[in-house]
Amino acid sequence: MTMTIANSLDDVLSGLANGARPIAGGTDLVVGSRQGKGALPDHLIAIDRVHELATIDVGDAGTRIGSGVTHATLMTNPTVVDSFTAIADAAALVGSPATRNVGTIGGNVMNGSPAMDTGAPLVVLNARAELRTLESTRLVHLDELWVGPGRTSAQKNELCTALVIPQQPESSGSAYVRLEYRRTMEIAIVGAAAAITLDDGIIRSAHVALTAVAPTILTVEGLAPLIGKPVDETTLATVAELASEQAAPISDLRASERYRRQMIGVMASRAVDAAARRAGGETLSVPVNRALGVGAQS
Amino acid sequence: MAVTDLPEFIRADGPDKVTGSGRYTADMTLTGQLVAKFKYGGVSHGRITRLDVTAARAIPGVFAVLTAADVPDVRYSYGLADRTLFATDIIRFEGEIVAAVAAINADIAQQALDAIELDIEMLEPVVDLEAAIADGAPLVHENIDSYEVTGDTPHSGNVATHSSISMGDAEAAMTNAATVVTSRYLADASHATPIEPRAVIAQWEGDKVTVWTSTQVPFDARAGVCETLELPTSKVRIIAPHLGGGFGGKCGAHFEPHIAALARVAKRPVKLVFSRWEEFIAPDRRREAMIIDVTTGVDADGHIVARTGEILLDNGAYMADSSFFAQAAAMHVAGPYVIPNVHIDAKLIYTNHQPSGSVRAPTAPQGCWAVESHTDEIAKAIGMDALEFRRKNIVTSASTGCVGQTYDEIGLDQCLELATTSAGWGTELPEGEALGISVGWWPSFAAPAGAYAKLHGDGTVQVITGASECGTGSVMTLRMLAADEIGIDETAIELIYQDTGAAPAGPGSSGSQTLFNHGRAVEKASQMVADQLRELAAAQLEANAGDIVLENGAASVAGSPAISIPIVELAAASETGELLGSAAADAIEWPEITGSTCLGEQGFSSWLAPQFSCHVARVRVDADTGVTRVLEVHAVHDSGTILNPVAAHGQVEGGVMMGVGQALTEGTRYDERGHQLNAGLLEYKLQTIADAPTITTQFVEIFTNNAGPRGAKGLAEAPNVATCGAVNNAIANATGVRVRQLPMTAERVWTAMNNPEAST
Ligand SMILES: Cc1cc2nc3c(=O)[nH]c(=O)nc-3n(C[C@H](O)[C@H](O)[C@H](O)COP(=O)(O)OP(=O)(O)OC[C@H]3O[C@@H](n4cnc5c(N)ncnc54)[C@H](O)[C@@H]3O)c2cc1C
Repeated sequence: MTMTIANSLDDVLSGLANGARPIAGGTDLVVGSRQGKGALPDHLIAIDRVHELATIDVGDAGTRIGSGVTHATLMTNPTVVDSFTAIADAAALVGSPATRNVGTIGGNVMNGSPAMDTGAPLVVLNARAELRTLESTRLVHLDELWVGPGRTSAQKNELCTALVIPQQPESSGSAYVRLEYRRTMEIAIVGAAAAITLDDGIIRSAHVALTAVAPTILTVEGLAPLIGKPVDETTLATVAELASEQAAPISDLRASERYRRQMIGVMASRAVDAAARRAGGETLSVPVNRALGVGAQS
Repeated sequence: MAVTDLPEFIRADGPDKVTGSGRYTADMTLTGQLVAKFKYGGVSHGRITRLDVTAARAIPGVFAVLTAADVPDVRYSYGLADRTLFATDIIRFEGEIVAAVAAINADIAQQALDAIELDIEMLEPVVDLEAAIADGAPLVHENIDSYEVTGDTPHSGNVATHSSISMGDAEAAMTNAATVVTSRYLADASHATPIEPRAVIAQWEGDKVTVWTSTQVPFDARAGVCETLELPTSKVRIIAPHLGGGFGGKCGAHFEPHIAALARVAKRPVKLVFSRWEEFIAPDRRREAMIIDVTTGVDADGHIVARTGEILLDNGAYMADSSFFAQAAAMHVAGPYVIPNVHIDAKLIYTNHQPSGSVRAPTAPQGCWAVESHTDEIAKAIGMDALEFRRKNIVTSASTGCVGQTYDEIGLDQCLELATTSAGWGTELPEGEALGISVGWWPSFAAPAGAYAKLHGDGTVQVITGASECGTGSVMTLRMLAADEIGIDETAIELIYQDTGAAPAGPGSSGSQTLFNHGRAVEKASQMVADQLRELAAAQLEANAGDIVLENGAASVAGSPAISIPIVELAAASETGELLGSAAADAIEWPEITGSTCLGEQGFSSWLAPQFSCHVARVRVDADTGVTRVLEVHAVHDSGTILNPVAAHGQVEGGVMMGVGQALTEGTRYDERGHQLNAGLLEYKLQTIADAPTITTQFVEIFTNNAGPRGAKGLAEAPNVATCGAVNNAIANATGVRVRQLPMTAERVWTAMNNPEAST
């Protein structure tokens, strides 16, 4: 086995072209291999010292969050907290301070777990993944990137360099909530992200995506009836119902299928409620789980 | 110096542990050391039809492969000698060891395991407690009648032992009761889960073996090695480096004999370090699952007149130190109440699960959880406030409890008042929040223990003790006792511990006995040194030895502190330049009882220096999800005199946190074939520091006869007793529904709220 520490993006891309696998924080790769999920690859290339992967840039085409940005940065970076709050909500819930200090958004996305916390926020914010090889760069919608649990459509020589998120309209807000049984070192039992744009208190657009209730992050369909309505008990109940219906949860040690299905409705409606309140100008601190007393309450 | 003036000071092992300079067993490396791995049965019940290790032995780099054929044919265990070091014919739980290998590195050890040829004929597993005692159930131990029995261990079929408490006429009293309440509770098994995994290193020199191991009780580990490998005591030395927690799970002998046997054959030091998965499936000490049925009758005034109960405890496949569990569980289901008519039966049942054994206050958290939930159900049934009902029924000084033991001065009533006052019982709380009360008890255990004390010519003291330090603070408190007796500063006292080659035998860190038993021995040995100092000082000061005061490092005549002799000078001037003390703790008389424990008496039908507690929990339940958070725990304990407040608060806080985990998230799940499903820290959810409630601790200090040094009782286990019950009562008060299975996970709370019938 070899491990190369890359100093530049070119190092990384050449390494990938030669068959090496990228390792960022290693919190999925190394921990997974220790747990017997599969041997470590023969050749690793460490990307955590490549500074150009660790920046957050606001531009005309939207905001570019480098794949090497850690959860600790995501949860405190003003751009993320102000404009893409759901991502900050999610990052703040990841593991423990140690996990957040080394774990990256690129690793979270490319690991492709259906329980990944930044996934649903990225989906509702309409983010795309920037994938690069030595020769090419392309932008991929996330629903095309994730093809199954732990599987992406990226080629082996493609590096995720950034997540690119379009500018959100005025009066928009987003939020991510998850069900958790304890306050750190937890994994999403179910989770939901929402992005809401309001027009004078009336919903102009609504996006909801769900964590850990299907083989990949699930986008909730059929939200059109919400458009033009205020966020009230009826709209929230509709969201809960749609989310519960569309979820395809499993029964496992963490929860039964029945409980998960009910809980995804609760999480989806809470996410919409929190996103709408943020869209309306209210400040709900990050992570909203604690601010609202969702899941394992404050 | 008055006892209460004893200063608080830092634990001696603290800096080592915090800075990382302290060494745990897994940190050690010996020259030429080999790696040990175990081949587990992997099935919960099966017959070995073929076991061939020839190929494994032939692998280069493999130094030893052992099976039952390679060690003495010794059947051992406490109560019922039901087990052997390696499976012989039948595998009785998935973590049962079939073979052990020692190899040059971990990869080759793994190859050797893979090369062991093992064929197993599957047998029907016994996994359900009620089915296990039904007619025609498959037997976990077919030949149980041939096993050697120690003590009063009545057994038959899958019942490993049976205990009952009987006083008055419960049946008749129940018939005449004004109100009768019946409840059923189920508790899942759980684990001690110390963060340090079990680790063992054995090294032979000639015919002597030294074993470094993460044990709480080095002398039990030694006894285990001697018994199973048929070695004399003098040939086995057990040393425990720093211990990274034990919580009862590291009591007794575990894998020391296997590793010693491997090292003998390999002729090299051999080291074992468990993985986290092994930590879950292989040790023979986990907290037992239980089914608890309890019925209570009360009269028109709300006094308990009768209680009957039936408890089934999951013993797992073998006896570890569980033979007294049936009796302990019965005591907890009776509870610290005045009940004139009691009949409780408890059966410890063999299953094809991992063996049960000591985990901090064994049987108590589950038993107390059940009976305190039941207590609130009774209060509700008769429309009485839960506090008021307890005031009416708990044991107080001079009252007689469930086995007919009449108590001396005890402080349970004070615990109840202080805890409920501290929590603000009766005040209005925000929506979704509520308080719950639970009272608990736990005995102190008297056992033989010895100690040496050596005052050196330079004025420093070594105290050599069989005590262990698994986090309970013996490194502080035992030094405080010695310092106080000899009249010098604690920092001048060095503790030598966790080494059977140095210390007199003792119960180590088990059963809250460190201070209670080792403390008494240390106190006495230190007194012997102090007596010699007084003699020496008396000669020089021309006074009576009895008038000499030893204080602040000097000896003086009482009333004349101005003229004094430094203790260091007295020590140096002694004949040998050293003053020695060696002592054993005196035997303690156990209280009498007038009721009966007709069966299965395991030596403590009466409770010596019983400890009492009341915990009041404040919880918030998220009604939509069932997620419960414990916001506050108000814990008040009567553990007699508190000698070391720092350690005492630490014990209560740790015990409460462990209780919160057991209450909400910690439970082992099994599949229908008896395999653990959540044998890892991702799915077996401990509480984290971020989940910790605010814990408010108070002590009711009552001098107790028959207690440990200076009236101290035990304290390490008691704080783990009452928390689960308090949390359940708080959940019930917040939601209006009762959760009947432990742990009370979010899903179970939610299920109870949405479908009370479906919640078992
Ligand atoms: C204790 C603990 C708690 C955790 N809690 C959570 C949690 O609450 N929520 C959550 O979502 N996750 C959690 N995780 C999982 C993990 O921390 C996150 O998924 C993290 O974001 C992974 O990032 P990483 O940089 O460590 O990825 P790595 O482990 O370095 O990589 C993960 C995978 O992605 C690939 N990869 C990494 N970077 C790139 C890239 N730029 N381009 C292409 N492929 C790439 C790697 O080859 C590997 O296959 C937890 C993990 C641990 C150990």
